[in-house]
Amino acid sequence: MLGDMENSFLSVRNMSYMLDIHSTLRGISFDLKQGDNIVFFGLENSGIDKICPFISCAIDDFDGDVFFKGHDVKNASYFERNIIRKDMVYLQRGYGLITNMTVYENIALPLRYHSKMTSDEIDFRVNQLIDEMEIDLSRDMRPVDIYQSERLKTAFARAIALNPDLLLAEHPLEAQCVLNVMSVMRSLKKWADSPLKSVIIVAYNPAVFSDIANRFIMLYRGEVVFDGTREEFLSTTNEYVVQYMTFSPKGPMMV
Amino acid sequence: MRREVEEAMRLWGKIENFLALTGRKVIAFFSGYIEFQHYLKSIFNSFKSLKYLRMRSLYSTVLLQTKYTGLDAVFLISVVALMLGATVIIQASQKFPKFGIDSFIGDLLVLIIIREIGPLATAMIVTSRSGSAISAEIATQKQNHEIRSLELLGIDTKLYIVFPRIIASILSIISLVILFDVVALAGGYLISRLFIFIPPQQFLATIINAFSFEDLLITFLKSLMYGILIPLICCYYGFRPTSAFQIPIFVSRAVVRTLLSVFIINALISFLFYL
Repeated sequence: MLGDMENSFLSVRNMSYMLDIHSTLRGISFDLKQGDNIVFFGLENSGIDKICPFISCAIDDFDGDVFFKGHDVKNASYFERNIIRKDMVYLQRGYGLITNMTVYENIALPLRYHSKMTSDEIDFRVNQLIDEMEIDLSRDMRPVDIYQSERLKTAFARAIALNPDLLLAEHPLEAQCVLNVMSVMRSLKKWADSPLKSVIIVAYNPAVFSDIANRFIMLYRGEVVFDGTREEFLSTTNEYVVQYMTFSPKGPMMV
Repeated sequence: MRREVEEAMRLWGKIENFLALTGRKVIAFFSGYIEFQHYLKSIFNSFKSLKYLRMRSLYSTVLLQTKYTGLDAVFLISVVALMLGATVIIQASQKFPKFGIDSFIGDLLVLIIIREIGPLATAMIVTSRSGSAISAEIATQKQNHEIRSLELLGIDTKLYIVFPRIIASILSIISLVILFDVVALAGGYLISRLFIFIPPQQFLATIINAFSFEDLLITFLKSLMYGILIPLICCYYGFRPTSAFQIPIFVSRAVVRTLLSVFIINALISFLFYL
């Protein structure tokens, strides 16, 4: 069992956490194969907001295990975790862009810190990402001076700059106009289509990512109430999913 | 009898409150001390990350901090040095001849300006100017989840944030202390010439005679200690706030405690080397 977990791309076992009745996770387990993409969705306080922090061990006071490419993330030392995080990047809610750096500097930051690339190579890579994200006009601006969509694009470009294997995206489209972030969606789709890259998205609007993810997991009160493929998600009669997707107050969930 | 009992109870209540307050203060002091020790330990541990780190990612922070802490403070330091230097020189040159000890003016200047006021005033200005800025910047970054975002990028935040600030602060303080001493002595002398006349050769000779290699070494040692201490304490308080409303509390605490530490270090070094 342990051997399987160590050999898998990402393996989460019995992830449990209990702070209060509203903030809980109960025995969440799942495996992610390289190239697969998952969307976690559910109500606020369903436990979805703990998924990314726990997988990346940004918060590590939970029960259970997380193995990523053979590394025990939870029990890894501070330095090992820093190395693991080069391959498992976490695009956090609110994006966390460095306010005293320009868009260019924000994107170049992980490359300058971690990579052995020369300055010219870094410049080339950053310009490539800036072009891909269509944020050329804001390259020398600071995060406070740019639009919300440009902040997402900058954060996304920074997250994929090192070409990680796993991207954890937490509410990436929150407070965003989807039309304004089409470049991110295109990039995310390209990313998701790659057999070597995986993404875990946590969102309140899973349907937006139906082109990207091939697995959908719904949580309610810290437990999995739906786990299925894209096709199953789109045609499900699961009463939790139906209630959630139809915004109905009637159903098994107490809203 | 009942009144006496009530008064005794009231008195006991006051004693109890006083003891509780004192106890809380003592516990807070020791828990703060332990937390600061953990912080120092984490900084030392972070040096292990140096092997994963590309130093180029720190250059811009070192340059920016050196500019802000050192270069941008040149004017303020010069004005303060000029005023303090002139005051000391005027006072000394007015009073010393009356006691027939005017040949000791050089000693006094070296004693007061180079040994004590130069490093101390510079440290005070750097603490109030840059120390408060460091604390406020880090605290705000923490509130904006920027520190967390650095951690999630696999960046050792202690090393990335504290280390360049220490380097910049050491470079800045050493340079500013030299500037302070030169401006205080030269500028002070020029200003004092408006009121009194001391021949420049005599002024220079008394200072050179009074100045020793030990003074230079101790001034350097003080500058180095302040250069490490100021960003270290200010960064510590910058990392502490857990909500936005705590930011001014911890920024104020950073400045006050850094100043207190600067005075203690200054007294300690003077005690160790000059007594």
